[in-house]
Amino acid sequence: MTTWYYTNIVLIQSTFTTLLLALSLQVPMRVGVFSFAGVGCFGLGGYAAAIAMTRFDMSTAESVAVGTALAGVAALLLGLLVQRLTGLYLAMATVAFTLIVSVVAVNGGDLTGGAGGIFGALGDLQTWHLLVAAVVVVALLAMTERGAIGRRVEAVRENPELAASFGINVTRYRVTAFTVSGVLGGLSGAFTILLRSTVTPDAISFHLIVLALTVIIVGGWTSWLGALVGSVIFVWLPSMLDFVGDWEAVVYGAIVALAAVFLPEGVVGLIGATVRRLRRVRRRAGGAGAVPAAAPDADLPDADAASPAVVPPATRGVTQ
Amino acid sequence: MRAFDTRRMAVTTAILAAAALVVAGCGDGGDGSGGGNGSGSGDLPAEIKIVGVHDMTGPVAYAGVGASKGAILAAEEVNEQEFLGPGVKIVVEDVDTAGEVDTATSEMTKVMADQSVAAIIGPAQSQQAAAVAPLVERAKVPTVFTQAGSEGVVIGDYTFRATAPIATYYHLAADYLADEGLTDISIIYNATFVTFAELAEDVVPALASERGLNIVDSISVQASTQDFTSPARAIADRNPDAVLMHLTAPQAVTFLTQLRQAGYTGQVVGASMHGGGNIASAGEHGVGVVYPTDFSPAQQNEEARAFVERFRAKYGEDPDVYASDGYDALWWIARAIKASGSATREGIMEGLKKVAAEGFVGAKGQLTFEGNDMRVPGVVVRWDGSKETVISG
Amino acid sequence: MTLQALLDALTLGSVYLLFALGMALVWGTIGILNFAHGVTFMFSAFVAHLVAEQVRLPMPAIVVIAVATGALLSTLTQLLAFQPIMKRARDYRTAEMRILIGGIGVAAIPLAVAQRISLGSPFGYQTSSYRAEVYQVLGLRVTTTGLIILAAGLGIGIGASWWIRASRQGLALRSIGVDPVTASLMGVNRSALALSTMAVAGGLAGLAGALLTYHLGAIASETGDTFLIKAFAIIVLGGLGCMTGSVLGSYVLAAAETVVLVNNWGSWVDAVSFGLIFLVLLVRPQGLLGRAEVRRT
Repeated sequence: MTTWYYTNIVLIQSTFTTLLLALSLQVPMRVGVFSFAGVGCFGLGGYAAAIAMTRFDMSTAESVAVGTALAGVAALLLGLLVQRLTGLYLAMATVAFTLIVSVVAVNGGDLTGGAGGIFGALGDLQTWHLLVAAVVVVALLAMTERGAIGRRVEAVRENPELAASFGINVTRYRVTAFTVSGVLGGLSGAFTILLRSTVTPDAISFHLIVLALTVIIVGGWTSWLGALVGSVIFVWLPSMLDFVGDWEAVVYGAIVALAAVFLPEGVVGLIGATVRRLRRVRRRAGGAGAVPAAAPDADLPDADAASPAVVPPATRGVTQ
Repeated sequence: MRAFDTRRMAVTTAILAAAALVVAGCGDGGDGSGGGNGSGSGDLPAEIKIVGVHDMTGPVAYAGVGASKGAILAAEEVNEQEFLGPGVKIVVEDVDTAGEVDTATSEMTKVMADQSVAAIIGPAQSQQAAAVAPLVERAKVPTVFTQAGSEGVVIGDYTFRATAPIATYYHLAADYLADEGLTDISIIYNATFVTFAELAEDVVPALASERGLNIVDSISVQASTQDFTSPARAIADRNPDAVLMHLTAPQAVTFLTQLRQAGYTGQVVGASMHGGGNIASAGEHGVGVVYPTDFSPAQQNEEARAFVERFRAKYGEDPDVYASDGYDALWWIARAIKASGSATREGIMEGLKKVAAEGFVGAKGQLTFEGNDMRVPGVVVRWDGSKETVISG
Repeated sequence: MTLQALLDALTLGSVYLLFALGMALVWGTIGILNFAHGVTFMFSAFVAHLVAEQVRLPMPAIVVIAVATGALLSTLTQLLAFQPIMKRARDYRTAEMRILIGGIGVAAIPLAVAQRISLGSPFGYQTSSYRAEVYQVLGLRVTTTGLIILAAGLGIGIGASWWIRASRQGLALRSIGVDPVTASLMGVNRSALALSTMAVAGGLAGLAGALLTYHLGAIASETGDTFLIKAFAIIVLGGLGCMTGSVLGSYVLAAAETVVLVNNWGSWVDAVSFGLIFLVLLVRPQGLLGRAEVRRT
């Protein structure tokens, strides 16, 4: 067990940092905001942490704190700035932000190490630090997925005008989501860089945005579990595919394409649908007074927990 | 999904908490004295495993594939010559880093955790190398890097480099320019590429002032710059005696094409990265480009010629700089094993240092070392459109 | 800016436009953001390169091969990825992200093939019989390739814009983007039209691949991705859903980049280009020529 752990320690730690990065994209998406600023904040947080450690001799904990805080503030400001943008326009603006961070890093002279970046920023992060951070973040996010808050978030995403008419402050939800995404991105960046010990401007690229997006779309963008499943898949997939040899990239691409086509709610949605189907089978086999009203709803692969606001009261009572 | 939430959350938290306990209970990583298995002659085992961690796929695969080929050829020679004694063989295995820093880190970690691995030939990309260097030091596995010219790579006892950073032999190009009387020079460089940024901003200005060269223009571009019409025209209009081109291979091809189309007929000076036929697609526009490099198949010294012949016989093509790196790296390790008489990780580390202190003759010529870092005599070559010819050095 | 620099900016803008055309066409009509466009561009050029290495071909032949390869690739992408996703999609927004990722996934395959064969080294058309000529016109230096690209870019860009606005098929295409269900109720054959649009876009990608490889001398397997980000930026800058916007956007971006390069702030090019886009979006959230959306929240 321990040899497996040490052999794969990089992958294990990477799973947690990727989870945080994926969550930084997933949180705004749940609110209906297409923001990739989390990746830019990954860069900001990473660089800030590295600079704090190498130029200002701060400890690991302080560096992480500095990185996360800086990223959070930047995201908040950015969120206020781009309030009026929606959809792909917003996406593009956040991509622009991310790429600008990279350019600033290249031209930052001695502070950011220029094109070579910063090396030697080795923090003493243990896996359990990452685990605790991940658990805390997930617990907090999970709480926002259920109950009243969960429903309000759904409303802001699905029908902002309706939500506003109910008195929900849509702008505040959006800006909060933006800030949270910045904090998560910065935390992920700080952790990643202090584990890797180096950061270069290339680390902040469109490629990273694509990776994070792929993780949540394939994993499932509706909940934190999707981000977790996606992270596990994409961090471990390359080593699983080792045996494929040179054509690893092809298999990887094929898997991503297949997931995009056949899994509308991601892998998590697939699991959910399978579980529901199993439960229906079990219920029918049990022969109890199965409520027919439940069947039509569960049959439709598309209608599920993603929009609970739309579930008719009768079936909601049954599925609880 | 609703009904599941509470139960699932509880279960997940429990599992994660249990995992946390297990993980926290584990202490810090251990290192190993590694080495081979079985018994060969003397203290050396029958099989010594060396792992090459290279980019075999991805954007700079040509570097990794080249290094791998060179190392494998070297291992064959070592075994054929029974250099380490009868019955002792070096076995080379390759691992692909696919051009990604994270893959490099995780693959390196796996390789280092494998106790049967005696030494590693490390990744060529600077970011990858700088990221794994501290891990290598912690795990105490001797690693010989190829290429990887930035800082943060050769940082301690267990990190070595088998490629001289271009900054250490670029003076040959400056000498060439001074000798030919090409005193007014323009530089165009990729500022996001570490080696080039360092060359253009620090090294060349220093060399220029020493040799009385005059830098007329210093134009920076990014890695994402694809079209060079404007800078090419700006340079052509100034018409300096020579142009120093510090660009990646595809950029170099475009720049050469557009520079010539802009009417510039003067001398273009490149870098070692343009070797190995990487600017062949510039066709006639690439003819006459001169560049300093640490190895060329056109080199005349005995070791180089022998290396080229054996490489051609085995692979049917000429070796490039990257192949020479892999070749010299493996020979360095083989000599290290012989010098220290041991194939354990610590033994190889000691051996590498010993050999470095004395230097040896490799494919690149007489190799000397500054600490754990290789230095080469270097050579200046001219590209004639299909092959290189040596013109000085 | 000097006249020469202006001409250079125009050429660069046409380079970007030629690349972005296919993407803008598909996006502006049937609403698909095809992230496989960059690889289609590169792979069409690559296939033409492989053929040209065996047989000495003139430029038109190379262009034809590239166009055919591009059209084939895009058609396959549509059939294997985008069409199934659209069919299974519950609503448009969730489909958007999946199409994005699907395109990226599909693109990995030709990319891996090209990288494997070229090992990352650049490739061009040195063996073709075409040689670019350089002319001096009114004190300006002009290359034949540059002229071809300028003509092709502007011609196709403006021509396509006009066609989409003026023709019946253009109308049908636009209706799919606005409301697919109603469009099919009106008798528009969605799948056939979408397929042929993707094929045309792929052909455009191939055209761009061949011409740009000539212009740049050579490209490498990653060149497509760098262009892709710029094309995305151009389309958004110009205003989604408007071809004319993309035409304008290409030249604006090219002008900005040229100004930066000419003033030797070369390492800030990306920051300036993307900063410009950012600023434009702040001032005009719908891009330069996009439709202003009414937002109440």
